[in-house]
Amino acid sequence: MSPRIACLLGLATSPLAAQDGGQLYTTHCSACHAIDGQGATGGTFPPLAGSPWVNSEAALAIQIVLHGLDGPVDVLGKTYNLAMPPQGAVLADPEIAAILSYTRSSWGNRSSVVSPADVAAARKASTGRTKPWTAPELLKLHPLVIEKSALTNLTSQAYFGEWSDLPDFTQLKAENIEEENSGLISVRHGLRNDHFGVVWQAEFNAPEDGEYLFRLDCDDFGRVIVNGTSLMEIREIGPMGRAKEGRITLTKGKHPIRIEYAEAAGDQGIALAWKGPGMERWKPLSDLTSGGGDPWPNIPIIPPTGEAVVYRNFIEGTTPRAIGIGLPGGVSFAWSADHFAPELVWTGLFMDGGRHWTDRGVGNDPPAGERIIKLANAPALATAAEAAERWPDRPALAARFRGYRFESPDSPTFSVEAAGLKLLDRYQAGAPDTLDRTLRMTGRPSEPLLLLLARGLPITPVGDGRFSLGDGLAVEVRSPKPARLLGDGSLVLPLDGDATAGIRYLWR
Amino acid sequence: MRALATFILTAGLSAANQADYYLREEIPLPPGEVMEIGSIALMPGKKLAVTTRRGDLWIATGAYEEDLSKVRWSKFAHGLHEPLGMFWKDDSLWLTQRPEVSRLHDRNGDGKADEFETISAGWGSRGDYHEYAFGSEPDRDGNVWVALCLTGSFTADADWRGWCVRVTPQGEMIPTCSGIRSPGGIGFNSEGDCFYTDNQGIWNGSSSLKWLKPGSFQGCPVGNKFHELAKLPAPPAVSDKSRILAERKKHPDFIPPAVIFPHARIGQSPTGIACDTSTGAFGPWRDQLYVAEQTHSQVQRVCLEKVNGIYQGAVFHFLEGFEAGLIPIRFDPQAGLLFAGGSNRGWGSRGSKPFTLERVRWTGRTPFEIKTMSARRDGFTLEFTSPVDPTSAGDPASYSMDAWTYIHQADYGSPEVDQATPKVTAATVSPDQLKVHLTIDGLVQGHVHHLKAPGVRSSSTAPLWHPEAFYTLNEIPR
Repeated sequence: MSPRIACLLGLATSPLAAQDGGQLYTTHCSACHAIDGQGATGGTFPPLAGSPWVNSEAALAIQIVLHGLDGPVDVLGKTYNLAMPPQGAVLADPEIAAILSYTRSSWGNRSSVVSPADVAAARKASTGRTKPWTAPELLKLHPLVIEKSALTNLTSQAYFGEWSDLPDFTQLKAENIEEENSGLISVRHGLRNDHFGVVWQAEFNAPEDGEYLFRLDCDDFGRVIVNGTSLMEIREIGPMGRAKEGRITLTKGKHPIRIEYAEAAGDQGIALAWKGPGMERWKPLSDLTSGGGDPWPNIPIIPPTGEAVVYRNFIEGTTPRAIGIGLPGGVSFAWSADHFAPELVWTGLFMDGGRHWTDRGVGNDPPAGERIIKLANAPALATAAEAAERWPDRPALAARFRGYRFESPDSPTFSVEAAGLKLLDRYQAGAPDTLDRTLRMTGRPSEPLLLLLARGLPITPVGDGRFSLGDGLAVEVRSPKPARLLGDGSLVLPLDGDATAGIRYLWR
Repeated sequence: MRALATFILTAGLSAANQADYYLREEIPLPPGEVMEIGSIALMPGKKLAVTTRRGDLWIATGAYEEDLSKVRWSKFAHGLHEPLGMFWKDDSLWLTQRPEVSRLHDRNGDGKADEFETISAGWGSRGDYHEYAFGSEPDRDGNVWVALCLTGSFTADADWRGWCVRVTPQGEMIPTCSGIRSPGGIGFNSEGDCFYTDNQGIWNGSSSLKWLKPGSFQGCPVGNKFHELAKLPAPPAVSDKSRILAERKKHPDFIPPAVIFPHARIGQSPTGIACDTSTGAFGPWRDQLYVAEQTHSQVQRVCLEKVNGIYQGAVFHFLEGFEAGLIPIRFDPQAGLLFAGGSNRGWGSRGSKPFTLERVRWTGRTPFEIKTMSARRDGFTLEFTSPVDPTSAGDPASYSMDAWTYIHQADYGSPEVDQATPKVTAATVSPDQLKVHLTIDGLVQGHVHHLKAPGVRSSSTAPLWHPEAFYTLNEIPR
């Protein structure tokens, strides 16, 4: 043992060690884990409050403090990938014991005290360890002990709507039903960030007969019903920090609990806790993620040099069968395989995978760039007869998507067939802020066909096959038969067998 | 005293280690990549293809070698929409993605897919995260079977959600079965009949393995309305708060689950299905099904039989300890290897990792197990993997049985109900000591029959590796 540590031990063999736990925590730990144990800078660093990494075997927590932790680690459902520096050479056994005893009994944590002897034993068990731990290494030695929530058979159902008060959910249709094995309610069960509600139903397991307190805090509306009795309600738009308590006498055993929640807009959050007879500390029924902001990390998807990148997923602003293409050079588009045409075009960043690649990956992901133009939102192929005056919302013409291919890595071609005509729709980045589209038509259509180029945005002919589209985009069309405007303002292109058309989109 | 001596002798043996029989190895994955495995395909030349939930397709060489440190990966494709089903056929990888069945081509031979052919996009999607599509390998006619999850696992907001469809190689979509809720995997038995796993939830009191008999209804009526799209007869409008047995007596098209996986006793979320078509390369389980489990990170074993034209059978615990929840599994009968992959994202699972790809092989040592459990008019016949000790195996006290069923209802899941305790009145050991016929008083048609056989010993005094079985008694033989 180094002289320095021996010296510190000498000083610290006094009853002050335990009392100093909070002080030591503030000095050595709070910069990252925050004074309230929630993790500093709003979720960048992992929380210690309610964390099974803190509350399982003491040996697990001690090893992390001694040697640090590198690499991905899941804490309360969120993955962190940081580097906790080792403290074993900085702190003596009594100091580590005091910090961990403090940590394990604060902010709702209720785990056993840690002694200097525990720390010494952990040091001995890991002699020779020179690198920080990784989560998998630790879990093999010290599996997590997750304290069971008092809620069993918990289900969540999300609802979409805009409300200025808690709605009557019995009159609304749920979007889904999910089983929540964690036994904890979470705003993430709402599937989106605004204009949603959630109803949770579960059995609350009361450990003994007596009076029970429930404490609800939420942004925006919520209420808790136990055994059919409403315990408390929060009925006005507002942030967390307006907690209300309710009390109810329960017999030992299971009682039905129903929690209703709705979010208007802005930040969102719900925290629910309970306290039973003789209990000093509240126990959580919610995950401890505080509300507000995106609950997922940014994962930008960027085309490799000279190649296009594909993102096939649910993209906001177009149909579910969306194929996002990020071309090298910063021009992107989303091609709808339901409507057989590009529907969104934009510049700048392509897409961000964070939403879809986190947790259950719920909802639509919007383009991650700027100058987004929505070209149209209807099936793009119709017979000339059915689209004489206006573009039909549901063309009778049956078209079929055949897939896409890359003739070169930077240029995708989409293949569509309709009424005997085969359409090859190829895209390439041109000059900066330019998207080049080439339509190759082969075969003989059984009747004249039209392709929808744009609809639902202001379109102005500028002459010579050029049109301005919405705000800031122009399109130039070179084709055997010219593009034209229908009576309803839709821009259409007549399709010819065995011909080629060139369409150029330019951002100004 | 003798019983005590026997007990002491065998107590040490009862802690039989899985590694005595099956070795699980993690296959190293491309460093730094998020490999949440959604599908696995076996390719010629001992190559292994996997797809990830982020839409990438990677191909590995060396996954069959003894030394896995030599595994090498190359990325064949990206930008796919969460494929959950893949196979190799006619020089291509075919996938079932969320929106379609696709066929990938590498036209210029540079090791990267450059053509993504859409074979069939005949079903609908509302853009909901739960609208999964699980696709099988080709059946004997070359068709891919696709099981379509309900919107939100709760409603049917786009065409054909809650149905199973077959896609022909030419891309025609044939609606085949109704009544699906939330599938986790799909595959064939050795007869070529198609099965899928459905998860506990609405109209599913417990998770189960179900037989996709063409034209059948699988229990959940939420997607029934789509019959009109193809002018098919309306599937049954089953009653709420009933029993499967009662409903199928009213509705002959309602095919009951072949094997119920009692919730929390045998996992909580069954997924991929693989049939052991080998002749003993992985143990004596010929023609049995392996079923993966996402929440408990296990693989269960199922033996099936047909009674009165209805599939039924037993599920046994088999393999456990995988590093993350499993989704797809693939069995190579020539090599005797079971490949398993998965992810815990979104629905937590046991294990130390967020995703995994592993292979399992048999050590060659056969565990003492109940090989098959087969229904009889008056009980069950058990076939064992090695000769039993006639004294313990012939003693009814070595066995116990309880039985229950589930409420068939619109509510999420069901408790175990209608409990019964069938009594084992006799246990008759066959002359070759490989079979025991249990005479049972009080069988209940439609119930899960839970057999415990803690007292049974092999002729070399070993206890059963897995002494429990859960048999779904849809039909009692006449």
